[in-house]
Amino acid sequence: MFRFLRLSVLFAVLFVSAGSHAADASQPLSTADDLGPQVDQPIEFPHDRHAGDAAQGGMQINCMYCHTYARRSMTAGIPPTQKCIGCHQSIESVRETPRIKKLFEYWEAKKPIPWKKVHDLPDFVRFHHERHIQRFYFQQGKPVQEVCGYCHGNVKTMTVARRTKSLSMGWCVSCHEKQHPVDAASTKTAQGPNDCWQCHK
Amino acid sequence: MSVNNLLENWAQFRHFHPVDDKPHDPYKWAMSIDLDACSGCNACSVACYAENNIPVVGKEKYAHGQAMHWIRIEHYWDEDIGVPGGREFPEQGAQFLPMMCQQCEAAPCETVCPVGATNHTADGLNSQIYNRCIGSRYCSANCPYKVRYFNWYDYPTTDNVWPETMTRQLNPDVTVRSKGVMEKCTFCVQRLNAAMSTARSEGRKVHDGEVQTACQQACPTNAISFGNLVDPESRVAKQWARQQVELTKDKQTKDAEPGGSRLRGYRILEELRPYPSVMYLERVRESAV
Repeated sequence: MFRFLRLSVLFAVLFVSAGSHAADASQPLSTADDLGPQVDQPIEFPHDRHAGDAAQGGMQINCMYCHTYARRSMTAGIPPTQKCIGCHQSIESVRETPRIKKLFEYWEAKKPIPWKKVHDLPDFVRFHHERHIQRFYFQQGKPVQEVCGYCHGNVKTMTVARRTKSLSMGWCVSCHEKQHPVDAASTKTAQGPNDCWQCHK
Repeated sequence: MSVNNLLENWAQFRHFHPVDDKPHDPYKWAMSIDLDACSGCNACSVACYAENNIPVVGKEKYAHGQAMHWIRIEHYWDEDIGVPGGREFPEQGAQFLPMMCQQCEAAPCETVCPVGATNHTADGLNSQIYNRCIGSRYCSANCPYKVRYFNWYDYPTTDNVWPETMTRQLNPDVTVRSKGVMEKCTFCVQRLNAAMSTARSEGRKVHDGEVQTACQQACPTNAISFGNLVDPESRVAKQWARQQVELTKDKQTKDAEPGGSRLRGYRILEELRPYPSVMYLERVRESAV
């Protein structure tokens, strides 16, 4: 009798715990906890001023004007100081502001700006920027800020970029499992690769 | 591949491989090694160590059987050394055989992994995922070629295999493995992925000879050729065809000929039906049997 009771209690507990586990599994993959740490950069670079919408006082510069390697290599790349100076030497209006002064200090000292990595993946992961940009920007013709934003969030509203997506494997897979149109015109769809060695190295 | 996905589609991931409903397309990486050209110089092994961040374990651990060479040169000696009328010097009778992961189509290691750390890829490679591996070493026990190597120590830290500044020679495209994981030859998957990506951006397939494995690149006698078996014009596919070795067979038709075939191509332990992707070229001689 008591043994039976004990067993039923055990089953009840098992059932409840299994149920709560199922509830966990259905939670959205992106949560508020995905927000990465605030990274202190050598210069507080205003992404919103450069890439933001004109209505918010932004310049609407294409992400790939500065992160130029994203479309043709594995890493998106940090622009060389030369790129910043290329524009800023002829923008007199902000020449004396503290951040631009700091920029010119690095330039005149011939030193690279020691930017810190914000979206840092583990060493065993191979993420290929080119493949994603080629697929979503060049083949599907989506707006560049949307394409970059799939992983980097809404950078055009940030000053210093901050990680807003979890960048975990489950998060990557949640998109790779979906059917994406192969290009802007066709109705043909394909999934992202599911091979371990496509992303793991 | 989430765990749920893995459990639901277990049968699919454990797909028996050379099958008609799932042909390799557009790539099936394969190799052929000409043993008559191999001089046993070990350059392939050295190149592999450099390319794939393999720790050099030292004499003592080597003697314990803990060497990590993903490609090793096996020596076979003729048996008539020292007998009257036989060869005088052992060096005369040496046969060399570079042995690495054969990237089996129906790999014995894949079926036994308790956590699904080793899987088959669409282009016919046997992948090993280090951070999923829990180090049960079951795969190694089940590998007929004994080409899986286990990290018994945390070589980069405890053994200090790469002291400071030497870490700069490590290949950034390959993980530095930690203690407790299994590793093996990958057919230089980092090079394959780079080549496939370039080809894809240019809207074409990888050309034959565009991608080389490290061992192939280092081989002074060109004994190793590597390429895409799906492409009938590739060097490897031509060699396989010329030698009448078929990937999906466990007994080659040519071997059924009376008196045996005069062709040199064979695959090692083919009769165990792992369907290996590496063909060796050497006539089986009386002295070696």
